[in-house]
Amino acid sequence: MASPFPVFQKFAKASTAFIGTGGYAALPSEELPLHRFLLANALSVTLSLLCVALATIGLLAIDRFLPANLTPIVYLIPVIIAATRWGTWPAIIAAITGAAAADFFFFPPYYSFRLDDPQAIVELLVFLLVALVGGDLASRVRHETETLRRREKEIQYLYEFSRRLAACFTVSDLISAIQDYLSGTLGRHTAFFLSASDRSFPLSPTAAIPERVKESAASMMRKIGPRASTVWDDPTRSLWLLREVASENTTHGVIAVNIGGDSRIVIDTRTRRVEAILAEASLTLQRLDIGGAMEEAALLLKDQLLRDAFHGNLSHELRSPLAAIRGSASVLESMASIRNEDRAHSLVEAITDEVERLDGFIGNLLNATRVSASDVRPHLECADPRDIVNASIRRRARQLAAHNVNIRFDDDLPMINVDSALVEEACGQLLENAAKYSPSGSTISVNTRAVQGHVILSISDQGVGITPDEQQQLGRRSFRSQRHQATIPGSGLGFWIASTFIKANEGSIEIVSGGKGQGTTSSIVLPEARIEDDQSAGSADE
Amino acid sequence: MINRRVRPMSKPTNLVLLIDDEPKIRRFVRAGFELHGGFTVQEAESAGEGLKAATFNAPDLIILDLALPDRRGSEVLELVRSWSNVPIIVLSVEANEEEKVRLLEAGADDYVVKPFGIAELIARSHAALRRYFKSPNENPVVVAGPLSIDLVGRTVLLNDNQIKLTRKQYRLLHVLATHVGLVVTHDQLLEEIWSGSVRKNIQYLRILVRDLRQIIEADPNHPRLIITESGVGYRLQSRFEDAPAN
Repeated sequence: MASPFPVFQKFAKASTAFIGTGGYAALPSEELPLHRFLLANALSVTLSLLCVALATIGLLAIDRFLPANLTPIVYLIPVIIAATRWGTWPAIIAAITGAAAADFFFFPPYYSFRLDDPQAIVELLVFLLVALVGGDLASRVRHETETLRRREKEIQYLYEFSRRLAACFTVSDLISAIQDYLSGTLGRHTAFFLSASDRSFPLSPTAAIPERVKESAASMMRKIGPRASTVWDDPTRSLWLLREVASENTTHGVIAVNIGGDSRIVIDTRTRRVEAILAEASLTLQRLDIGGAMEEAALLLKDQLLRDAFHGNLSHELRSPLAAIRGSASVLESMASIRNEDRAHSLVEAITDEVERLDGFIGNLLNATRVSASDVRPHLECADPRDIVNASIRRRARQLAAHNVNIRFDDDLPMINVDSALVEEACGQLLENAAKYSPSGSTISVNTRAVQGHVILSISDQGVGITPDEQQQLGRRSFRSQRHQATIPGSGLGFWIASTFIKANEGSIEIVSGGKGQGTTSSIVLPEARIEDDQSAGSADE
Repeated sequence: MINRRVRPMSKPTNLVLLIDDEPKIRRFVRAGFELHGGFTVQEAESAGEGLKAATFNAPDLIILDLALPDRRGSEVLELVRSWSNVPIIVLSVEANEEEKVRLLEAGADDYVVKPFGIAELIARSHAALRRYFKSPNENPVVVAGPLSIDLVGRTVLLNDNQIKLTRKQYRLLHVLATHVGLVVTHDQLLEEIWSGSVRKNIQYLRILVRDLRQIIEADPNHPRLIITESGVGYRLQSRFEDAPAN
């Protein structure tokens, strides 16, 4: 195919393209190449013939002043004009007709195509050669210029497109960018089928999407068909290109582009163009996906960092000085001189109490960060409810010191399957609330009983009670009733932590109050542990 | 503070190696131990220094903080355990039950969660030392409140009256008594009582403890002898804490 003339190369390429397009079985049979060629070039051929005619008339007019051997050079003018204006074929035709006209009019014998003089034959052949080569060169220049111009336009579109892509923040931004670009460069209809639903979005409103295209798109979306396909729509005589719009791990949908019913070369070029755009778009999609994932990760990380900071360093930093204070106070307390001096002793006790209060507060914050980070992973284990209640009362001994605590257990309490530490903490929070919201000297009753497959730990106080209005807000993080904000210290985290911890243990908290000033009963309801048949193993003495 | 009938420490003064990077913690622990009497305290402010002292000074007891600047406390624990049986009490700010169990299984004798009072640490230290220096040919009777357990004669006196226990109940009490004052993990108890056959079934243990409490506790609903360390194990109390507000 190494022909010196690109003209022939073109032909060769075109013919291989026809041979190699067996894949387009859906396309109708092509028209004859010559016929199509003549149709496409009729005007330019006529115009170049006109140029040759003009040159002939001009030459005839000035014939007597012109040496005969200059005529061929004049005939080069129409060839160059045809080549630069209309391309290779008109130039070739101009060259041939020019040579013929020169022969007919200006080489003896005149008005005949016959040539007697061997020098004239050589002259004409040289002319023909020069005309063909010159015409080809000129047409090539023209072609290059056109290509450059087209490329510039394409690059401009691409630049616009990439700017649009860079500014895309959602998939729908991206789709409209693709659509704009395709209609700008190809002037074609584009439709997008979103994978999330069956809705299709014909992005150019006039584009009626053929049923066959819709069906193919649907099957592609269901991952039945191939990832790419072409559909020939007979009524509109156009080819639809269907391509999956997907990033590495997500399919966002299927785009259908009408690339018309032109020749296969044009279709090939358009197909490549569309594919290039979609490749570009899929990179953008990936960026969008990554962006989304990164945003999510950043949020998580922030949460995680905060939690880690608190769990790791911060709680250590806060608790270490407390440990030193608490320990030092305990050493002071053990000294005989302090023990014997009432005032000093009570001061040391106050230090210890306050340190424990602070420590409890830090513990609460730690629990709150655990709850907000959804990091409550209960380690369920068979436990004796009495142990849990006793431990939580012992842990809150300081807060409960001013109250009468009345503890009662049902006989034959079943075991419960819980994370003891979590339930203990929840129970402690409720005890603390009971102590906080009831007057000193009043009674707090803690009853533990078994009711129909459940163990209920209920804590009743004789305190301020809860209004129905307040009850609705209970369980919200940081909720504190307006009534007590000024008088009773607290963070509002306690109940929120308690209810989360109990929920994590598959239990629930019920709050009952007769209303304002009527006292409150909070009950933790936990399912009783299923006892295995072999339970006697514990008490039996083999 | 230790019941007089428990035999005294084998040494007049015990050398305590305190490994903690917080100078203020070291200061009060030293003051506390010295005021209490019977202890000499050596301080180490890093794992490296602590390991060196543990090797060359042969301490009778190590108090080990878990958060050290140069090495994790748990590594120090394992290193010391690889060549020494010396009692180790771990100090930690985290009150995570799984972590406690891990430490106990790695060889810690007990743990104390910061912030703590000195009395608690000294009581644990005594318990750990007692276990370490106990030899079978000496007085084998462990006393815990109204309870006295003869580990050799396998008899249990409650308020000076002999009580009858089933074999498993006695096993449980026996294991706790050999660690009196110290926490014993669920796994350890299950293994010692059921010899591994029903390991991991903590339910049996819970029921056995409940039954034993019915017999030995003055008020089984508010046990003061066998203390539950939730998520970790049980502890036979050698001295009574104040009862909760009542």
